[in-house]
Amino acid sequence: MKNIFTIAWWEVTRLRSRFGGKSKFVILPVILLAMVLSYTLYHQDFTICKGLYTIGVSPQAPVIKDSRFQVLALDRESARSLLQTGNIDLYVDADKVWVRQDLRSQYAAGALKKYLENEELSRIAGQYEVNQAFPLRITIDYLDKDPDTAVAGAEKSPSLSEPGQPASPAPQSDIAANTTAVPPPQAAPKADSPVSTPSVKQQANSAPEESVLVPGKPEVQAVPKPTPSIASSSISDAAVKEQLKNLEKTRKLPEFKAEFASENDVIVPSLMSPPMPLAQVIIAFLYIIPMFFVSVFFTSSFTEEKVNRKLVILLSAPVTRLQVIFGKMLPYYVYSILAITAVTIFLKGNVMLALSIFVPVMLFIFAIYLMVALTYRTFKDQTFFSVLALSVITVYLVVPAMFTGVNNLSFISPLTLAVLMYRGETFGIAEYLVATLPCYLTFFLVMYIGNRAFNEEFLMGFKPLHTKAFEALYLAINKKHLNISIFLLGLLLIPVVFAVQLVLIVLGSSLPATALIGMIMLLSIVIEEVAKSLGIFVLLKNKVVRSRLDIIKLACLSALGFWIGEKLLLLLTMSVSAENSFMTAVMGTSMFNGWLLFIPLVLHAVSTSVVGLLASRGRKLSYFQGILAGAVIHAIYNFSILLASGVFR
Amino acid sequence: MREYLTLLKRELKSITREKTIMFAVLVQFFIASFSSVIMVGIMAFYDPSSISENTKANITVGLVGKNANEMAGFLTEKNNVHVAYYNNVTFAETDFKAGRISAILETPPEKSGVVDMKLVLPEMDTQQTVVLMALQEPLKNYENYLRMTNGVDLKYNGFNGKPANTYEFLYSIVIPILMLFPSLIAGSIMIDSVSEEFENKTFDTLMAAPVSLKQVFAAKVSAAIVTAILQVVLWAGLLRLNGLVIQNLAIVLGLATVVAAAISFIAAFVALYFKDRERAQFVYSMVLVVLVSGSAFLGSSPISLITRVASGVPNAGILTAAIYPLLLAALGFIFFKLSRKLVFSK
Repeated sequence: MKNIFTIAWWEVTRLRSRFGGKSKFVILPVILLAMVLSYTLYHQDFTICKGLYTIGVSPQAPVIKDSRFQVLALDRESARSLLQTGNIDLYVDADKVWVRQDLRSQYAAGALKKYLENEELSRIAGQYEVNQAFPLRITIDYLDKDPDTAVAGAEKSPSLSEPGQPASPAPQSDIAANTTAVPPPQAAPKADSPVSTPSVKQQANSAPEESVLVPGKPEVQAVPKPTPSIASSSISDAAVKEQLKNLEKTRKLPEFKAEFASENDVIVPSLMSPPMPLAQVIIAFLYIIPMFFVSVFFTSSFTEEKVNRKLVILLSAPVTRLQVIFGKMLPYYVYSILAITAVTIFLKGNVMLALSIFVPVMLFIFAIYLMVALTYRTFKDQTFFSVLALSVITVYLVVPAMFTGVNNLSFISPLTLAVLMYRGETFGIAEYLVATLPCYLTFFLVMYIGNRAFNEEFLMGFKPLHTKAFEALYLAINKKHLNISIFLLGLLLIPVVFAVQLVLIVLGSSLPATALIGMIMLLSIVIEEVAKSLGIFVLLKNKVVRSRLDIIKLACLSALGFWIGEKLLLLLTMSVSAENSFMTAVMGTSMFNGWLLFIPLVLHAVSTSVVGLLASRGRKLSYFQGILAGAVIHAIYNFSILLASGVFR
Repeated sequence: MREYLTLLKRELKSITREKTIMFAVLVQFFIASFSSVIMVGIMAFYDPSSISENTKANITVGLVGKNANEMAGFLTEKNNVHVAYYNNVTFAETDFKAGRISAILETPPEKSGVVDMKLVLPEMDTQQTVVLMALQEPLKNYENYLRMTNGVDLKYNGFNGKPANTYEFLYSIVIPILMLFPSLIAGSIMIDSVSEEFENKTFDTLMAAPVSLKQVFAAKVSAAIVTAILQVVLWAGLLRLNGLVIQNLAIVLGLATVVAAAISFIAAFVALYFKDRERAQFVYSMVLVVLVSGSAFLGSSPISLITRVASGVPNAGILTAAIYPLLLAALGFIFFKLSRKLVFSK
């Protein structure tokens, strides 16, 4: 422990000397300026498509205050000719709008329609009474199609189908009772205390009121029967007012609350907002940015000490490799934790909850950068690995979080938890695990490989990338315990394989659906075959394994590890989200019944053995041919499974 | 001139040897394809209408109640929404559970005053969203109809256009990112290229050769610009293949080149001042934050200018675009004036 602190202190001293002296008078103002500018920008009402449309307006037309529109005051005659020559995109003549048939003009009209619609809403909201301006309220109930829950649903159907009963709150409470029974809100103790911004709190208070008011009082319901419409509209009135308040707010600032319409029990069609939590994702991303900015120090420190051989000297000192790695990372960990705390306090959030979400993210990010630092060979390499790492991390964290509340697959990103936190919603321990386990796993895997590969030859070697990767893998395998190593490798590569497959889905998403599924299936087969046989290939390459029997044995072990990992992952994702046709496309089939479970295991063992045996011939393309053969076997299997399950019928 | 070409070749070689450009393209390809996913996602949820464009989800709504007929008229205005009538909710629920219909709408008898309806949606997240978003527009229309019967006068309701969100996203985010990201990479290449000379102490060797300092920097900046131009052209081509046309292509490419050159000069400044990669890259990233957020306050920042020119806004900023080369020339002039002093400063 003391060694770690010494090395950490050393790292801090190095940074201090770098940023001490004259240079801090340049660096500090630049940082300050960057912060001030981005802060003001954040608080400004800015549109990105400034002046995208040019429109003409007549004197009687409404005032258009939207920076997307360049507004010209025109009379009818000149407007007509300008519209025809394409100099303006449309013309607003009092309350009529002239457009052309081309796309540009049509888009301008669409944008204007949306803008005017919003303006009209504000106007009638101010001008008329709520009941007059927003006469339609829709109470939303949720019902499951699942046969399991259909039983629970049957109990409540009598109360739902009571003839002549207006939309009274009673069914709502039934649903509330149902939902607590059906989905998995086994809220973790930590997750149980959601952060709520003031506005979130209001909502949280009003929601229970409704469900507390009514639970299981069918007799009482009969009493206020004379005025059923008033009773129900008083509840929907409150909901409408609440949403009107939000309308005013979202026009001003990107608040935490970009609320998903279906979370309201009562919706008003014109006040329904899109469910994409863009603002919250950006806010959650605020936590990540400070880590990105210091990553350059971390990687540079490695380069520098690699180049001037300080690292090699350090390795000969009486410290372990792990101590060196942790020591160098410690200052950045401390900094990141402080940054997480500061951001949370700034946003008035729950510090403990934020830490429990973002510490795994921090471990993940610096693990990736450690990998970058270990593999690159030159400055330029470093820059591009870093940019690549940055974009991969960003995509992994941000893209799934965009679908928070839309699709439960979004829980593969920890940012989704942060989005929920800022929405004042809770999440369960299963969700927490799905989101953060990949981060922890990556961290431990990288630490392990880093520890094994942290030697002079590897650090200083200047070789092509793939050679370097094979070398790292070879170093990572414990030659004394080959069987266990290969088994674990198969198991641990699962998250990597899964991540690559997800990326494939996304990269192929512009293809038509059927071609997409086919292509993803083929590519993921190849990836799986590579993942399973990689360890064996590296061992063959270094001539550690020679006999055919050994190859087959290792292939079986690798297949076993892979199979266990695959099923664990499936189990974990199924506990969060039951609906993912893509997962089934990627993972083959999701069979859990009886001996069918073991068929994939046999398949994995056979295909990997074939790959290993073919690769052992040791010629230049042997491994490639092996992968091809293994993939063909795998593909035939997948195809026949799909055939049997009736996908093609 | 010959020295300059030799130096340029040297720089370009070092970039291609490191497969730098490959990485750069890979990174952008990655970002671009993910932004297309985000786009489809965002669009689907901002624009209910784009759901019907992107997926062919057919939605059947079970209608119950007295005013079902009237409601059906509003719902079936959309092509992918169908209706089925039920006499009571129990039957509708049976069909709902069997998956024959995707939603149940109970319409109340009254048609004036406040109308409370009940909508039953599937529990599953994704289906819920799709159904709700597909029904939003018909429900809005029905709401407007109710407003009219309530005596609320709603204006500007009588025209239609295409939903513009996708269009705005493509031209104001995707195209500017793809056109300007190569510039950021050019700046990064510049920092590496300059600071490497200091850290490996090769500047002294270079000075001993019969080349001037100006030629060295001109070669470095040109190499960075060349990589940027290659990427920008590649992107323009790929976007074209995907059916996304950049209007006024020459002006857009010129603007992207000018920005790449300007950022390269700025990066070179930073690298020359700090002389080590670590601080230079950090300060460079900070300067980028300043530049990007600062330019958002400008009337016509490079980003919004590219948006306007690329989308073909009539008479858009061709004059403004001409200001940028002038600024660049000034920047280059100052840089070459100061570079000598900076190289030899301690």
